Amino acid sequence: MFFNMNDEWKNIAKEKTIFKFLVASLDTTYNIKIAHDVKLLLDTKDTPKLFFSDIETPVCADGECKLANIKVYWNLLGNYVGYGIDSQLPLTKFEHDPFEKADYKKLHQLLLDDNSILKRRQMSDLIDEVPTANANQLLENVDAVSGATKREVKEAVVKGGLYSCYTIWHIVHGEVKQKISAYFRSIHSEKLNNYLLNSPYKDYQLYAIKQLDKEKFEASSAQVIKIFKTNDAVTRHYILKKIPNKLLSNKIISNQLYSLFSSIDINSRTLLIEKLKDANLNAVKILSKYVTYMTKNQLKQYLKYLKGTSKKTRRSIKSNLIKASNHKSYAYNYLIKEFLKNKK
Amino acid sequence: MTKLKLTLFIAFQLFYLNAKSQDILVEAESFIDKGGWVVDPQFVEQMGSPYLMAHGMGVPVSNAATKVNFQEKGTYYVWARTKNWVPGNWEAPGQFKIIVNGKTLKNTLGVTTGWSWEYAGKVKINSNDVNIQLLDLTGFNGRCDAIYFSKSKKIPTDAETNLASWRKTKFGETTVPKKQKTYDLVITGGGLAGCAAAISAAEQGLHVALIHDRPVLGGNASEEIRVHTLGIYGKFKRILKMIDTKHYPNGSFEAKYDQEKRDRNVKNFKNIDLFLNWRAYDAKAKNNIITHVDARHTTTGERIRFTAPRFVDSTGDGWIGFWAGAKFSYGRESASTYGEAWDEWGELWSPEKADNFVMGSSVLWQNKKTNKAHAFPQLPWASSVAKDHKAIAGEWYWEFSRNDLHQINDAEEIRDHMLRAIFGSFANAKKMEENKNYKLQWVSYLVGKRESRRLLGDYIYTFNDVKKHTKFKDAVVEEVREVDVHYQRNLKDGKQPDFLSEAIFYETEKYYIPYRSLYSKNIKNLFMAGRNFSCSHVGLGGPRVMLTTGQMGAAVGLAATICKKYGVNPREVYTNYLQEYLNLIEKQQ
Ligand SMILES: Cc1cc2nc3c(=O)[nH]c(=O)nc-3n(C[C@H](O)[C@H](O)[C@H](O)COP(=O)(O)OP(=O)(O)OC[C@H]3O[C@@H](n4cnc5c(N)ncnc54)[C@H](O)[C@@H]3O)c2cc1C
Repeated sequence: MFFNMNDEWKNIAKEKTIFKFLVASLDTTYNIKIAHDVKLLLDTKDTPKLFFSDIETPVCADGECKLANIKVYWNLLGNYVGYGIDSQLPLTKFEHDPFEKADYKKLHQLLLDDNSILKRRQMSDLIDEVPTANANQLLENVDAVSGATKREVKEAVVKGGLYSCYTIWHIVHGEVKQKISAYFRSIHSEKLNNYLLNSPYKDYQLYAIKQLDKEKFEASSAQVIKIFKTNDAVTRHYILKKIPNKLLSNKIISNQLYSLFSSIDINSRTLLIEKLKDANLNAVKILSKYVTYMTKNQLKQYLKYLKGTSKKTRRSIKSNLIKASNHKSYAYNYLIKEFLKNKK
Repeated sequence: MTKLKLTLFIAFQLFYLNAKSQDILVEAESFIDKGGWVVDPQFVEQMGSPYLMAHGMGVPVSNAATKVNFQEKGTYYVWARTKNWVPGNWEAPGQFKIIVNGKTLKNTLGVTTGWSWEYAGKVKINSNDVNIQLLDLTGFNGRCDAIYFSKSKKIPTDAETNLASWRKTKFGETTVPKKQKTYDLVITGGGLAGCAAAISAAEQGLHVALIHDRPVLGGNASEEIRVHTLGIYGKFKRILKMIDTKHYPNGSFEAKYDQEKRDRNVKNFKNIDLFLNWRAYDAKAKNNIITHVDARHTTTGERIRFTAPRFVDSTGDGWIGFWAGAKFSYGRESASTYGEAWDEWGELWSPEKADNFVMGSSVLWQNKKTNKAHAFPQLPWASSVAKDHKAIAGEWYWEFSRNDLHQINDAEEIRDHMLRAIFGSFANAKKMEENKNYKLQWVSYLVGKRESRRLLGDYIYTFNDVKKHTKFKDAVVEEVREVDVHYQRNLKDGKQPDFLSEAIFYETEKYYIPYRSLYSKNIKNLFMAGRNFSCSHVGLGGPRVMLTTGQMGAAVGLAATICKKYGVNPREVYTNYLQEYLNLIEKQQ
């Protein structure tokens, strides 16, 4: 069993079969569609936790088909999170060798990649020799479009298990995902949103923040800032773009966000600087401690902003600027020197 | 800052000497013998001038040399306009020295942050003919913009050497360039789009100028950048076959063969006047009609004014439109602007609120496996970008974009960041035994761009037109290749290097681009073809590939012939002559 969440799969008290999804067989000789059931798993308090499907599917190679059995879990947003295998029914590779432990792990990694190279490939592209010009022995990696370089595919899949990997990836990432998210939208409630917002999962957090209106955003600001600290750059950008001006001008909130300047990604830093005009005045002082973390354009923008502030503000941060201008390893210290000189 | 050009030097000098007789300024790009240095004109709009760069991929390049006529003998203080392109706690990578009449000046140059004048040393000049050389010390992209000789010890200030204004007063540069040329159609930018526009217009008998700032045609498809062409030919197979590429891997030396084909085919047209190594630097519009485009030779500084009833902007960066005041956009629109959201990819595809992210620019590179071991130095100034990433070659996904960097205004920084990524990653790979026989064979110094300004037309092409396969009544371009939009990997995973991207693909059946996206909304006689056509950020995801942009060029060339026939502007081809135009396109197959 591979699972990328905490132990949601353990505390299941109930399950509900909610829909079927159809998958066209890869076996082109029999153009059949197979239906799989998707269940919603709930805990004792009736909170939806996971979506689940016990999948049995033929995996065909060279006209010979074997059945693969795999129990797939998706989270509430339809993102793949894990799978289990019945020990009696192992997955098999070329020539019916069973998967080994490392193979299962690799399959899990593959399934976690929602943008896998397998996505855009027909099975037929993968078996045929990919014609590549012989420009360089090691460089069969043609661009993304001519794309599936055999090497890239090889790296992505279990050795000898291309067919199983391909089949399973396409089932897990097929129409079922849209169906799950549509279903989830239909049962979505404020309570569920709170659950997502306070969960430790990055995709849940972003989803939940997206549902917040201004008031709820303010009411949840403590949690939002916690998420801002720990989530990825995309979520941080989203938060910074969405945060209501009223909240950003609040001294405590503004202090909390701007104090994170040195520990977050560069793009979010740019957004923080862009947002100075809406932030609490104190933010510009906080940033003065971090000028040596700024890129050239960030520094320019910061200094430009500074120019427009009151003399008093500038005076109060001057010592930080002088310190930064004397910072030997800060490449743009000359810009601060120029700024200070012009200010005199 | 802008300075004067050497070719005009002798003439200029007289004036200049009047002003300040002991000073002499030499533009590096106009050195007579460039040696192993390359002319880099990519950042003229930001820098004021092209410069010379020692792009030796780790091996110092041979000296650049020139001769300058000095009117006065005596002791001169010498400065070079240069910069340390990777300032930090390490030896500057691009160091070089100046040699005057065989004497190497004392100071090492290329060591201060930001473009500025660095002092090289003093020299006694005993003859009028003075020989100047640039001596590269590192092979790692030292750069020299200009050299300044002065009898005064005083460091030249920016104000003194701001020759943009100086030139204006002394030589009347604001007035018309002496040389003027008139055409039926003036096309700027010789990528696939520009080349196709030139061919299709020329085939219909138009007298065409194609202004291109490089020595070879093809833009990203050229052997200088080496991207292969993708997409379909649409109705223009015959034309596009003259300029396309085979499907070799990106970065392959094979680009050279298609280069020869392309250049030969375009040069074969008697009525295409090809201005290679000419860079347009201005365009003026009166009452929303462009009257002329001014261009300058990238090494000699010579200037020409091009006049024509109609112009094509295929510069990729939309320069002609920009200068002429055409409406344009940059960055990502909000998802609601055109309804382009795609749930599966959310903010990475189309953000709820607009921002400055765009697809990034790339520098391609390639290695060679040899029979013997090759050393490659460890480079602290490069490893600060590459970190522990290892690679022996690059690919399309070596791409850089950041929301504080503008793909045009900051292109030099973007290119330099990619050079650090490349050299650092290669240095890391070379530490491994298995790579000991690899040699760094080729690193482009030109930045291959995907997205910057998009000029606005009567119609703004969006992702919805792909999804719905909108069959416009003025459809002139067709494509089946999937749409792909890129994002930087580090947005999702902070541990990833900042110079690698990921593509989001959207599979599609045939989609069409309308003619109304190929001429400016507000500049009446301006066509655009290439990645600067009228589209949204996501809308550019599909049509930016080079056969699609080539189709745009070919379509525009034909529209220009209809314009000429009836003496009308691009819009009227749509409003009054659409059927005739479509028939003409149909005949191209
Ligand atoms: C690494 C990379 C991989 C890619 N992969 C593919 C691929 O596999 N297949 C594909 O088809 N496309 C690919 N693309 C996209 C494609 O190359 C570009 O979108 C396309 O080149 C745009 O065409 P263009 O003619 O508009 O611009 P360009 O090809 O950039 O041509 C414009 C030319 O105009 C010149 N110019 C600019 N300003 C001036 C001026 N003021 N005066 C004179 N000349 C000027 C420039 O030097 C340039 O050469 C890739 C791009 C990159 C960077």
